[in-house]
Amino acid sequence: MSQYFIRRLLTLIPVLIGVLVVTFIIIHLTPGDPARMVAGMDADAATVAAIREQLGLNRPLPVQFVSYVSNVLRGDFGRSFHTGEQVRNEIAWRYLNTLLLAVVGVSVATVIGIVAGGISARFPHSWLDSAAMMVALIGISAPVFWIGLVFMYIFGVQLRILPTGGSGTWQHLVLPALTLGLALAGMIARMTRSSLLEVLGQDYIRTSKAYGFSANVLVFRYALRNAILPVITVVGLQLGYSLAGAVLTETVFAWPGLGRLVVGSIFTRDYPVIQAGLLLVAFTFAFVNFLVDMLYALVDPRIRFD
Amino acid sequence: MKLRLRWVTLAVFVLVMSVAVGSVGVAQELVVATGADPVRLDPPDQTDNVSETVLRHVMDGLVEFDEEMNFVPALATAWEVVGDGEGYRFFLRQGVTFHDGTAFNAEAVKYNFDRIIEGQLRRTALLRPYIKSVEVEDEFTVVMYTHFPFGALLNYLAHGASLIQSPTAIEEQGEDIGRRPVGTGPFAFDRWVVGDYLTLTANEDYWGGAPQISGIRFRVVPEEATRVFQLETGEAHVVVRVPPTEVPRLEAASGTNVLVADSLRVIYIGMVVHKTPLDNVLVRQAINHAIDRETIVGQILEGFGTPADSPIAPLTQGYYSAGGYEYNPDRARELLAEAGYPNGFDIKFWTPNGRYLKDYETSLVVQQMLAEVGIRADLQVIEWATYISSLFDVDKDTTEAELYLLGWAPSTGESDWVLRPLFSSDLFPPIGDNASYYANPALDERIQAAMRETDPDARDALYAEAQTIIHEDAVWAPLHALRQVVGVRSNVEGVSILPIEIVLVKDAVIQ
Repeated sequence: MSQYFIRRLLTLIPVLIGVLVVTFIIIHLTPGDPARMVAGMDADAATVAAIREQLGLNRPLPVQFVSYVSNVLRGDFGRSFHTGEQVRNEIAWRYLNTLLLAVVGVSVATVIGIVAGGISARFPHSWLDSAAMMVALIGISAPVFWIGLVFMYIFGVQLRILPTGGSGTWQHLVLPALTLGLALAGMIARMTRSSLLEVLGQDYIRTSKAYGFSANVLVFRYALRNAILPVITVVGLQLGYSLAGAVLTETVFAWPGLGRLVVGSIFTRDYPVIQAGLLLVAFTFAFVNFLVDMLYALVDPRIRFD
Repeated sequence: MKLRLRWVTLAVFVLVMSVAVGSVGVAQELVVATGADPVRLDPPDQTDNVSETVLRHVMDGLVEFDEEMNFVPALATAWEVVGDGEGYRFFLRQGVTFHDGTAFNAEAVKYNFDRIIEGQLRRTALLRPYIKSVEVEDEFTVVMYTHFPFGALLNYLAHGASLIQSPTAIEEQGEDIGRRPVGTGPFAFDRWVVGDYLTLTANEDYWGGAPQISGIRFRVVPEEATRVFQLETGEAHVVVRVPPTEVPRLEAASGTNVLVADSLRVIYIGMVVHKTPLDNVLVRQAINHAIDRETIVGQILEGFGTPADSPIAPLTQGYYSAGGYEYNPDRARELLAEAGYPNGFDIKFWTPNGRYLKDYETSLVVQQMLAEVGIRADLQVIEWATYISSLFDVDKDTTEAELYLLGWAPSTGESDWVLRPLFSSDLFPPIGDNASYYANPALDERIQAAMRETDPDARDALYAEAQTIIHEDAVWAPLHALRQVVGVRSNVEGVSILPIEIVLVKDAVIQ
């Protein structure tokens, strides 16, 4: 078992190397000149050239790549082209913010999703089922920024009980987490429902029913445990996804997260920030998947990675 | 039990009173919602609007602009021309100290400008061509020598790049300068949480008198709808870049107000004049006649613009109207026929999306208007970084542009910083910004002469001639000068908007 853990952890390394190489190539192939973005539209050629040299962008690409990789291996992600700040410092706090939003948002989604999906499966084809799946459908299909603005208008502008944006207190977290949670809950609800219905059709459930167990006990105690595996997979994927994909929520609520930083850096061609940001996101994504795999073993005693 | 209740009552009473007193007597922090973070808080090494906005609260220049682009004495109390115009002598304000305790004097001024012209900063190219040297005459007198008699020097000193910062701070911070700015301004830098907010605290010892607010919090709110919500809830006192559609609602609401001010930014359709059929002046004039500027301003910008008749906005020093081109599609068709295109032609038309107010919508309407006279423009939306590289990091032979929408605002507030970079024949990309590749010796001559002319009237006359040439040759199709829309809480007064797109809250009061 522990051998398997270590093997799985080691597979993260080629993934990260791959991400590093691919992002490096893609951002250098993308048109647009970082030095020009730093210098500004009204800069003359000499200023742009001087900045290009300062940033080390006039060196041949392979040289840039080697120096970048060797710096990264020593834990040095360089300085942002634009702000001149250490990328490490710039990214760390933003990453923690995003992690906080993602974890709380996905927790909200999980609770909503499992409850809604469970109710649906408990009363299949009833009006409760339709209502819960309708909410799930809205969560999946309504744009996040629209949900965010509606929440903001109701709770911030009309009721005045929550701040409309920014960070710092737990109140600031409520609306963005709810918005993100609702958007992600739909998928979890649908997965829970279909997985539960499948399990509920199995023989042992029928037998249990015959023994006189109540429907609630059956669905939420026995069936749910067996139906939860695919749900865990979805939750894990969504956690990984929201680390980079929460950018819309972050933008609408002025939440100082990593997604906003990375997307902004793409527009300004701030290579060191893009690279470090994507590497971090990829690492977290892979790591969360790793955790999910490990979780399988905990949830389902039959699974043993030997 | 009874005793405890009494204590609770007392505590509540004290709390309520302190809140009540707090909201009346003590100066409050003013919250400004901006669209983005500052990039770098080092005056000569920044080019973005938010950085300059923050810096203009932390630092002073020798001279500064007011809302009508007049010069106001700041760290220099008076100035005079030296000799035949080889420089300016500045008499400095005495008894001023930087926020870190360093004394402000002639040496500090020299240190700041030496750093720019001897260094390699983003704004070095703006100042080095003019400023030759700065000499200290005595503790509070400096002479700034220019390479030639330079009429617009004060404009360059009122520019954001010329704000004066503490030499001690520059020395101590080294590579990290630009994170913790130190100046002489009405507010001192406090804290910058990137992506969230930046706070300044009032400088009670400010030479111009202590501010009436305790500090400023610049909050980063990228989404414009959220900024408007924050103004409505009172979470922000001042919000920038309010979308025109929200203006009626904010004006009607009791707690909010809208301030509108003209900008120096002109939005235009650039034409690459060496490409057929744009090499024909009749075609360029036809394009100008085909565009209904009133409709664009009225319908697309909802009135928040002024139809343009020159590449230069009316509030820019040296602006002159050569009449502009009236909307006349019949005349446009005639000109096209005369030029040999009775059935029009196909052409590429590039536009950004989201860079300027309603830029893409404007381009769509222009495309329609061109179609009316037979010009079939193929509109292509290009992402901003790619856009400016495609325009400015190419040369005359490799450029793929034909028609393109762009905006320009002279950050120095005078005509030279429009005409010279955008119309000089020696400043084609990649060296300069003349992306229409227009070359006319008669125009070059006026631009150069005006730059060296120290008599303001003579300079204006030269700029009038220059703008007439550009008008007759129809080098661009200028569309409109933008207007800035800023939302404020009704109880906030003293917010001012500079035409160089800077919102100042130095003198703000919260009632």
